[in-house]
Amino acid sequence: MKLFGKTKTEDSKHQRVLRELIKAVGREKVLSAIEDRICYSYDGTKQKALPDIVVRPGGTSDVSNTLKIANKYEIPIYARGAGTGLTGGAVPLMGGIVFDLKSMNRIIEICPEDFVATVEPGVVTKDLQDEIAKFDLFYPPDPSSAAFSTIGGNVAECAGGITGLKYGVTRDYILALEIVLPDGSVINTGRKTLRSVTGYDLTRLFIGSEGTLGVFTKITVKLIPKPKKIETLAAYFSDRDDAIDAADLIIDNNILPRTLEFMDKMTINAVRSYTGTDIGEDVKALLLIDIDGTEESISHEMPVVENACKENKAFSTKVAETAKEREAIWAARRSISPALYNIAPHKINEDICVPRSKIKEILQKVDQINEHQTIYIANFGHIGDGNIHVNIMYNDDPGQAELAESIVNKVMREVVAVEGTISGEHGIGNKKSQFMELEISPKELAIMKRFKSFFDPKGIMNPGKMFLS
Amino acid sequence: MEQNPHNKIQAKVFEEFCDSIGRENVFDNIEERVCYSFDATKEKSIPDLVVRPHSTEHVSKIISIANQHSIPICPRGAGTGLSGGSVPIKGGIALDLKNMNRIVELNARDLTVTVEPGVVTKDLQDEAAKHRLFYPPEPGSAGFLTIGGNVAECTGGMTGMKYGVTRDYVLALEIVLPDGSVINTGSKTLRSVVGYDLTRFFVGSEGTLGVFTEITLKLLPLPAKIGTVMAYFKDIDSALNATDSILIKNHLYPRSLEFVDKTCVDTVRGSAGKGIPEEAEALLLIDVDGNEKNAANDISRIDALCSENSALKTSIAKTDDERDALWNVRKSVSTSLFKIASMKFNNDFCVPRSKVRKVLKSVYELSKTYSIQVAAFGHIGEGHIHLNVIHDEGKEMDLSVHKLVSQILKEVVSIGETITSEHGVGDAKAEFVELELAPHEIEIMKDLKKMFDPKGIMNPGKIFV
Amino acid sequence: MSTDWKEEVSKCSKCGKCHTVCPVFLETGDESMVSRGRISLAEALRDKQIVYTDKLRDYVYSCKKCMRCRTVCPSGVDYEVIISAMLRGVAENMGVPLLPRIIFRYILPRRILFDTMLKISSKIQRFIPMKKRGQMRHLPLLFMGKRWIPTLAKKSALKKLRETKKLKNPRMRVGLFTGCLINYIYVDIAEAVVDVLNRMNIEVVVPQGQLCCGTPSSSMGDYKSSKKLADLNREVFESHKLDAIVTACATCTKTIKMDYLRTLGPSWQPMSDKIYDISEFIEKYCGDEYEANPVKEKVTYHDPCHLLWVRGISDEPRNVLKKSSNYVEMDQAGACCGGGGIFTIIHYDLTLKMLERKVASIERSGANTVATNCPGCVMQIADGFAGKNSKVKTTHSIQILQKALVNGGIDKGDEK
Repeated sequence: MKLFGKTKTEDSKHQRVLRELIKAVGREKVLSAIEDRICYSYDGTKQKALPDIVVRPGGTSDVSNTLKIANKYEIPIYARGAGTGLTGGAVPLMGGIVFDLKSMNRIIEICPEDFVATVEPGVVTKDLQDEIAKFDLFYPPDPSSAAFSTIGGNVAECAGGITGLKYGVTRDYILALEIVLPDGSVINTGRKTLRSVTGYDLTRLFIGSEGTLGVFTKITVKLIPKPKKIETLAAYFSDRDDAIDAADLIIDNNILPRTLEFMDKMTINAVRSYTGTDIGEDVKALLLIDIDGTEESISHEMPVVENACKENKAFSTKVAETAKEREAIWAARRSISPALYNIAPHKINEDICVPRSKIKEILQKVDQINEHQTIYIANFGHIGDGNIHVNIMYNDDPGQAELAESIVNKVMREVVAVEGTISGEHGIGNKKSQFMELEISPKELAIMKRFKSFFDPKGIMNPGKMFLS
Repeated sequence: MEQNPHNKIQAKVFEEFCDSIGRENVFDNIEERVCYSFDATKEKSIPDLVVRPHSTEHVSKIISIANQHSIPICPRGAGTGLSGGSVPIKGGIALDLKNMNRIVELNARDLTVTVEPGVVTKDLQDEAAKHRLFYPPEPGSAGFLTIGGNVAECTGGMTGMKYGVTRDYVLALEIVLPDGSVINTGSKTLRSVVGYDLTRFFVGSEGTLGVFTEITLKLLPLPAKIGTVMAYFKDIDSALNATDSILIKNHLYPRSLEFVDKTCVDTVRGSAGKGIPEEAEALLLIDVDGNEKNAANDISRIDALCSENSALKTSIAKTDDERDALWNVRKSVSTSLFKIASMKFNNDFCVPRSKVRKVLKSVYELSKTYSIQVAAFGHIGEGHIHLNVIHDEGKEMDLSVHKLVSQILKEVVSIGETITSEHGVGDAKAEFVELELAPHEIEIMKDLKKMFDPKGIMNPGKIFV
Repeated sequence: MSTDWKEEVSKCSKCGKCHTVCPVFLETGDESMVSRGRISLAEALRDKQIVYTDKLRDYVYSCKKCMRCRTVCPSGVDYEVIISAMLRGVAENMGVPLLPRIIFRYILPRRILFDTMLKISSKIQRFIPMKKRGQMRHLPLLFMGKRWIPTLAKKSALKKLRETKKLKNPRMRVGLFTGCLINYIYVDIAEAVVDVLNRMNIEVVVPQGQLCCGTPSSSMGDYKSSKKLADLNREVFESHKLDAIVTACATCTKTIKMDYLRTLGPSWQPMSDKIYDISEFIEKYCGDEYEANPVKEKVTYHDPCHLLWVRGISDEPRNVLKKSSNYVEMDQAGACCGGGGIFTIIHYDLTLKMLERKVASIERSGANTVATNCPGCVMQIADGFAGKNSKVKTTHSIQILQKALVNGGIDKGDEK
């Protein structure tokens, strides 16, 4: 139900809404010029849809007042942090109002003695991490977009990141939320204490709700002591299965590395030709491992990790001796994205997660699906948790886009067949709605929809996302 | 069916239950029913029937029938909860899940285990240990408490400092809803973000939204070594200073950080607590874990820090037996308190760490004002305190205790925080929920409850008044 | 208008990584003021979804053109192509404002007129009350908006350095491209370049016919004017026999070395190959051959955007400074100071915010002098410290080297 219509009644409604919004939050916070709307029409999926209005709230009351108006006129609302999500979450598919929450970006307070911090939703994750590092504290969830994505976005999607195996994901670190519900009312869930079990866990219900149940206006996070030291190891293998076995052996040795990343042959080839790094032609798989802790704990764990790799036929391992070497090793991981774009201009980035014992099987299935190799598929990711990013690169040649989509379809089915999940950390948005039914039974889906209509009877919060309507 | 004037269930309905799951699993004799009328709060209410399902199908059938006839259901694991959660205060059916106690599948490679709700936590720990894995949430009652109960209450435990609580480990649930239908929430993978987090929503729902019939949990590698030290202090301040020194100044990350106050120390000294100095008015019990070397190093650092903060004496456990002995001191506090009086009200609130001193001061002052004995102990590393109010029986005493507890909880909430951090609300704390949750929020929770349980048969009378 | 901007636009994957380095986005958090947002506006132009408006122009002008986004873009988008096309589009569709148009088309190509115009402005200023702080004067006039700028030099660098100092057996003969700021305000920088190179037995010619490099015109999309200037400059420099051309202005270097390749075509390549930033030149051709007595000052270095992010040059100026002073590194040396061009006039408030951060970084470094390789940055940063009545001096790195070569003798630049 778009506002930007051409009929007289629609247009006058648009004017009325604009007037009320301006009155409620102030003219400078309401943008309606097309040049502004264009800039808030997309997210990291390249999808585009023009909103009618962009609102830049200054605080909770602005959000609340705007939602009251939206609710009254039944206008779609799309909450947006940095707009860098990978599933279409922030794309205003049905026009309406986009909340630019980057305008609410204060770190409200850090209480180092209590190990908590409270932030507004638009705080960039890395900015929080940098601030708390001054107190030797650490907020572990570290998605690869941490330097530009926001805490609000992280919570809405329940972002994961490279530290998930050892430290968990976003939902394990949120203590309390202040939420504005679709009718404009404000609730507080959770407590600012390190433990609480009073009543139902609404906090966890809202985490990962992808903006479909309400807007977060304050977020209290749990912090932990910052590990004193981090050491990095890269291990090179000539066979993918050896790398996977090595990862298993590390965990079997009772070590949970801070990060345990894997890159397959296609990923390495792309990186090699893009950066010209000295990863030899014979490297068909690699593990990138960070161990953190104290000098002593690392000195115990690193040799064990290195041995685990060697025992599984790693023909070369390299432990970074200096910060520069560490940078160089991680540069390979960081350059994956540009390296892949060097191969083809379009990318589908799936983030499946399977039980660890099924990793080899699912990778074989992906190979089978792409057995004619007409499309470039690179697999890499958080092998410690079984969360693999299957990246399908395609160009503008006829049929490529369709082929890529059909591959995704097949992969999703295989994933569900091994009791895996269609999304480990990116969320559903509108990109994966079609696959939800593969994993979630009709009954469960019905319950989720009931939650949705309970909180949002008029269906104004991020419509078109998560559920196929 | 035995004729019993207190049993409200009609003969016809009784027959339905027997037909659905077998007569041998349905108990209507008073002796049986009395045994399922209480939990660890000593509250009592006799159910009309005790029913023992053996499978999901059984549970589904029972609940369908109960739903049809609007009969209350009170799920129960070991019945050792501390908030009245499994006390069938509205009669009806006590659903005894102890017979659903299989460890269905432990996948060491996947770091997951699937269990039925009646599995005793310690049994799971032992099984996991065979694969050099462990399930971190370790409540004091782990030796007898069930996983189903853990999940229903979202228990914490001794290792919460480092390892978090139950909700951080539940990956998937099979749940029988109040209408008898069965759903599966979550995913058996270590990460998943598909749709709403129904799994975590059900964790801690205290049996008011459904019954868990299968639970998939995350496991972690078992640390090679645990180092333990107990430090005795001449007053609470020194103990709290030591805590600050360990956590804030030196950024150490213990697995457990427990504290015990004077009242508790006095009750355990001489029995479980041999070797506690006479002058000791507070003690800390600290665990660290890791590999052989760094566990030893960390524990001696902590030992030194305690000494630096005027510890009268410290004891580092050198063997497993010594460790058990030290932990026994802490674990026996709760029951030892009964030496003081025969009744005990258990609070378990959590405050920001920086407010602990303030809260304790208020609590002790209130205790003096009311002349009722209190004892404080708990996971102080996280600002969590078990505050026990110990008193004799008697109606007047009950009233005073109730007033004292209200005051204390009001204090706690005004200092900013939560009235229950691991025991749950149950019915024992239902009236205090309003101190912490806004009316609007309580309304939402009640409406959600109605959404799942329109007839209000699942554990009625709990959480909300 | 070339279509390669459309190709570049379609490469953008909308990942948002440009958020992490854009100095304007850092201040505003506004999607319309970051590369990704401007690219989406370019797409909208391409798809005829929008037309050129004042608002669009403001967003286009809000780009600092520091090109830092290009260095992190995973999709390899050449953002410069896109922003240039947008600037051109603005100029073509909305016209260039009258006064700038006159200056670009009629005054910049004529040195005498340019000299005269500036002389007249400086005389008129005397009749208008103005504020002074330190070396800066608040120029309330017209196109300079609220900028504080230093006094114009009495004699321009071109005039002062008209006579080439002949050396007996110079090992090289280089031309100096002064650029406007150095020519009219920071004459001592030009003198320092000549002095330093002479001491290294390199003869320096300052071709008199040289004109503005054309950056002001291209920054407003007036590529016609900037092409004209490029042609004229080419004539001037090609008519001298020079082994190399040096500049002390990072922006000029970028323009005449790289942009002129687009404007003048591949035939400019041989000349382009010989164009160097002064530190770059010294490191390459004079290397370890000079003996400098390091000055006592604690000096830190600010990376001009056009030198660091466009050309990747960061070591050379630092090496020179390490040899000639007590060098300390500041944090975020590569962060934009906010100075330079149209941006400072149209978005003065943002300029000030960016300047504040830079000043704070410098203060944290403990340095009492900040050196850089761009007179635009010198002007901007000096303004920042003047506003605080600080003792921190702002200078060009070549002036530090000059001092060090003169053995710490009195530098005339001190009096400015």
